[in-house]
Amino acid sequence: MGVRLLVLVVLSVALMVVDARFALLKPVRSQMSLVLMQTYWITDLPQRLYQGVASQFGSRTELVAENEKLKTENLLLQGRMQKLAALTEQNVRLRELLNSSALVNEKVEVAELIGMDPNPFTHRIIINKGERDGVVLGQPVLDARGLMGQVVELMPYTSRVLLLTDTTHSIPVQVNRNGLRAIASGTGNPERLELRHVADTADIKEGDLLVSSGLGQRFPAGYPVATVKEVIHDSGQPFAIVRAVPTAALNRSRYLLLVFSDNRTPEERANDAAQAQEAEDQKNGTTPIVPATVPKPASATPAAPAAAPAATAPVATPAKPAAHGTHPVKPASTKVPATAAPAAKPPAAPATTRQREE
Amino acid sequence: MASHHSRNVWIVWLTFAIGLLLSVSPLPQFMEILRPLWLALLLAFWSLNLPHKVGMVTAMFLGLAEDVLYGTLLGQNALILTLITFLVLSLQQRLRMFPMWQQCLVILVIFGLAQLVQLWLSALTGNRQPTLALVLPALVSALLWPWISFGLRGLRRRYKIN
Repeated sequence: MGVRLLVLVVLSVALMVVDARFALLKPVRSQMSLVLMQTYWITDLPQRLYQGVASQFGSRTELVAENEKLKTENLLLQGRMQKLAALTEQNVRLRELLNSSALVNEKVEVAELIGMDPNPFTHRIIINKGERDGVVLGQPVLDARGLMGQVVELMPYTSRVLLLTDTTHSIPVQVNRNGLRAIASGTGNPERLELRHVADTADIKEGDLLVSSGLGQRFPAGYPVATVKEVIHDSGQPFAIVRAVPTAALNRSRYLLLVFSDNRTPEERANDAAQAQEAEDQKNGTTPIVPATVPKPASATPAAPAAAPAATAPVATPAKPAAHGTHPVKPASTKVPATAAPAAKPPAAPATTRQREE
Repeated sequence: MASHHSRNVWIVWLTFAIGLLLSVSPLPQFMEILRPLWLALLLAFWSLNLPHKVGMVTAMFLGLAEDVLYGTLLGQNALILTLITFLVLSLQQRLRMFPMWQQCLVILVIFGLAQLVQLWLSALTGNRQPTLALVLPALVSALLWPWISFGLRGLRRRYKIN
């Protein structure tokens, strides 16, 4: 028995060393995980069933209320998106002028949480996207409110994500207000990050939003990470003590976003953005060169039959001139109905002019 | 005789499968620190009662499965579970004579030692747990031992596992 113990102990120690130092055992591991990771899926099953049942038996009024809420939210978000498209394009142009690398439009994909790491001292989660879905090691993971963490282990159909608040995790951030750089380290508390080595005189105060600075080459810049909760100036300490609360719901979110970074060159990206904008303009029935406030007879005639489906679209348009009351477009667009073809005017035209000029 | 030897062994494997499920099942935050060492408990019982079927090699394979599930180094939990099984097997003759409370104490000591080894190993790999609270699972497991023991003994009688 002693000999057998010795052999097994030596074997497991050898395995540990090999696994820590070399990539030799990675395929073995991923094959084993193919079967074993089903256990997470099985333990998650009651939760899924509960959700399924709850959605089956949800009352009609509840569903209607939720639907209403989602529609409102969708409208608001779409309104914001329209502005974002213009800003993105402007950003690309300005960066082109500055000859600096642009950062726009990372591709994202939705993943679902299927398990938590059973070890209470680490903050890791299992998600249902893996190597076969194109996930790569170190890939950033977001939820709807901010950065959550990064992928640390890949398996064929699942992967393990290290959360920001793990004690072994740190992320370079900057204060959104003034660009002050710092490093936010996890504390092991899911509601707490700590900024290390912030000078006592640094301009940082309660309520500041911390966004990722992109300096570590791992996380894309500009995503919200945390808000500063308290800044303690202790004269006995060499640095200020800064505590922050992650903006992402690290222990509540079930649906996450995987960010696929874009490895096109800035020029390609600018071209792509321009092309996308052009396609958008053509879809809306106007060419970008012609000022849309002047009703164009050529486009007015084909748009006339389409007036009926288009009539549903203007729901969003009245809000826009109101939001930009000082904007020159506003008088122009209000003037349009007075001119020849009120119904024939493509409803999206004010939107495009606004985007052009912004 | 050969058929007599391996009767209903699949039930043993079923309990191990359930043990694996239990060891990753989601728990509330405050209870996660108390999660019993399900696989170690099952291994302790089966290696006491079926030493010719369940031994250190089984423990090693289950440990490897646990390593894959937990994302630790391959071999870490395998080493721990092998050690636990070895200690249980070497105390086998005495453990079987002990009254239940004494068995619980022995289990507490063995699992506590195993958790300390676990602490050292995670310190070596850079994920040191901040407190000694990780001895708590050993305590919870020791308190669960009588129930596990009675339950599995009943199961064993019912299905005449041999």
